[in-house]
Amino acid sequence: MLQLQNISKQYEGKVVLDEVNLDIKKGEIVSLLGPSGSGKSTLLHIILGLTKMTHGKVLFDDQDLSHVSMKDRGFNIVFQDYALFPNLNAYENIVYGLRNKKNLTSKEELQEYIEFLELTPHLTKRISELSGGQKQRVSIARTLVMKPKILLLDEPLSALDGVIKESIKQRIHAIAKEFNLTTIIVTHDPEEALTLSDKILIINEGSIVQYGTPYEIMNFPQNDFVRSFILKQLQIKRQNIHHLFGEQYA
Amino acid sequence: MPEGKPAIRIIYMMILFVFLLFLAVPIGILLIRSLETADGFNYANYVSVLSDKELVESFLNSIKVSSLTAGITTILAFALAYAMNYTRMYRPIKAVVHVGIVLPMLLPTITYGFAIIYSLGNQGLLTKITGRHFFDIYGFNGLLIGYVIYTLPATFLLINNSFKYIDKKFIVVSKLMGDRGFRTFKNTIVLPLLGSLGGAFLLSFILSFTDFGIPASIGGTYPVVATQLYQVMLGSIPDFNNGAVIAVLMLVPAGFGILLLHYLERFNFHYDKFTDFELLPHKGRDIAFGVFSTVVLVSMLSIFAVMFIAPFVTSYPYDLRFSLAHLTDTFLSKDLLAVYKNSLFVACLTAVFGTLLAFGSAVVNVRTAVKGKSSIDVIAMITNTVPGMVLGLSYLLFFNGSELKGTFLILVLCNIVHYFATPYLMAKNALSKMDPTWETTGELLGDSWLKTVFRVVLPNASSTVIEMFSFYFINSMVTISGIIFLVTAQTSLVSSKIKELQHFAQFNEVFILSLLIFFTNLFVKFVCDHFQRVKSKSYIRGKLQ
Repeated sequence: MLQLQNISKQYEGKVVLDEVNLDIKKGEIVSLLGPSGSGKSTLLHIILGLTKMTHGKVLFDDQDLSHVSMKDRGFNIVFQDYALFPNLNAYENIVYGLRNKKNLTSKEELQEYIEFLELTPHLTKRISELSGGQKQRVSIARTLVMKPKILLLDEPLSALDGVIKESIKQRIHAIAKEFNLTTIIVTHDPEEALTLSDKILIINEGSIVQYGTPYEIMNFPQNDFVRSFILKQLQIKRQNIHHLFGEQYA
Repeated sequence: MPEGKPAIRIIYMMILFVFLLFLAVPIGILLIRSLETADGFNYANYVSVLSDKELVESFLNSIKVSSLTAGITTILAFALAYAMNYTRMYRPIKAVVHVGIVLPMLLPTITYGFAIIYSLGNQGLLTKITGRHFFDIYGFNGLLIGYVIYTLPATFLLINNSFKYIDKKFIVVSKLMGDRGFRTFKNTIVLPLLGSLGGAFLLSFILSFTDFGIPASIGGTYPVVATQLYQVMLGSIPDFNNGAVIAVLMLVPAGFGILLLHYLERFNFHYDKFTDFELLPHKGRDIAFGVFSTVVLVSMLSIFAVMFIAPFVTSYPYDLRFSLAHLTDTFLSKDLLAVYKNSLFVACLTAVFGTLLAFGSAVVNVRTAVKGKSSIDVIAMITNTVPGMVLGLSYLLFFNGSELKGTFLILVLCNIVHYFATPYLMAKNALSKMDPTWETTGELLGDSWLKTVFRVVLPNASSTVIEMFSFYFINSMVTISGIIFLVTAQTSLVSSKIKELQHFAQFNEVFILSLLIFFTNLFVKFVCDHFQRVKSKSYIRGKLQ
């Protein structure tokens, strides 16, 4: 279980995060949802260990990781633009970390990841030859090989086009459940967050606005921000889609 | 971005140490020596130099001839760049200009002077062919021609590059708004380029003002700063303090020029996008610029033609029968071959270690968050400001009593510091375009920071690294101003040997050595360009598939 206790972050005199408290259970998918500048990415980087917090604690399985370096925390991230190394092909990217930790993942496990992510036909391709969705999957595979205790995803769908989005969403969901892997996702899209996650953390101007399941957020919005930022958008979308399909689906 | 890693801090400290010892302290010593007199520290040396009529005259001469050079060169370079980018002149001409214009960069400037003498002098090749003597080449005229040839490639590259960042869409808009030809030209080409044109003028001025090779070969009795400095330092009665004063005075316009260059950058327009579209053919324009470009290029290269002829005849210009005697003599002369080997050795070391230093500095600056990293930008700017002769002289003063004196190492270090700015900026540019999250990703995959740099950052910058290597190598082969005060009989380089051969009027050897440098540089450039093409081609091929 991951616990965040009283996490605050000030940067150049500005409050970026203010007293964030949060518990995430093993195997849960949690989305950090908020507008740009809300502090959600900063929170993700604090969990990862990339950014230092001003005060507060990060606990994982009751162990205090607040002062443990990024490398030793054992979490891992897939960046928004994937950060694949263009001098290496897809396969070389996937096994990159195994050069450093030889027996972390067995050959069979590696094969399992590759097949699970349907990357077998693309292994010898250069990074520039891969489509957006393929890059995303290679990046996820490269991260899974490192057996992270928590998988962090930074805006995993924003660089993908419409059709591929839904399939990647299913894939992320399947990974979390298949490997019982705690997954934390940063997104600014309510639809994405509410259809993909077990729980959603809505964050605005550095503070938690609401933390709950999709059902709780849809049916018991805590305040005006949730109503106007989250629900309004979804209602407009629903209207548009109903309009497209015709009234009988309303 | 990684910040507190010990490896980064160690590398950063090492870089700072190199520049402290081989830039800051020597230049500091130079300033001190310029103020040092028999009665303590005062301005007496400055007073003495500034009341010396010949020295003051040489300053004014330098300013005069450099300004005129800069004016002519900027106009020529602009017209050439315009022809390349905004006309549909015959394609092969464009290709030839593109390659031909940079060829003089592969030669030491001291060769330019001898080439001019052998082309336009009384017995010169071009004088003979055209049957008329144009003008007296020793002194002002010769310097002017030499400087224009010397600075045209660099100014052309600068302006040509800026042309690529102009949005041609605005020409269409201007025309649609009813502008007439001149107004369109002014608003869509001249104004956006104003910063670059000013930059080109200053660049040409600074290069001419600080060059030693050309006045050393063709200056005649027309004194300029560079030759005066040389005489004061290495003449019959060396005067180190006055030499230091002249060096400082040489530093001032150069430093001022660089500051102005930075200031001018803000006049450059920054378009969000660069749209390119097909230019309509315009017969008159295309032919006129085709002829103009050909004339400029042919004139420039014809000066060097003699270099390929004179050493291969029995006795130029009296006995024009073909002969390989001079060539075989040179290759049989242990002395000259040793000098060539020295030059190769110094150029290789400079290229390897210079590239390492510049790349390391750029990595620290662009891809880490180490405190005070922007100091490297300041260092790069200073190295760009200090003329080669001034740097060399400061080394002479500072390392005179040390073990470094008279070694190859001091030549290599001088070249590395002297030419640091350009390769550093090349690396910075390439590194800043790379994904900023690579190092974090590498670390999460178990790499140390240094390991990610070698496994990921370096391989992706290989094309730039090759370019940096080539730049350092070629410049190290041709420089004379930087090393003229530092070479000894044992560490003599080709460019300084040419200066020596001039004394004995051994011009055939001068040309053969110049040809050796030329073909070596051509070879290195060809190989480097080839590897660079291979690298970028495989990248583009990947993109297309």
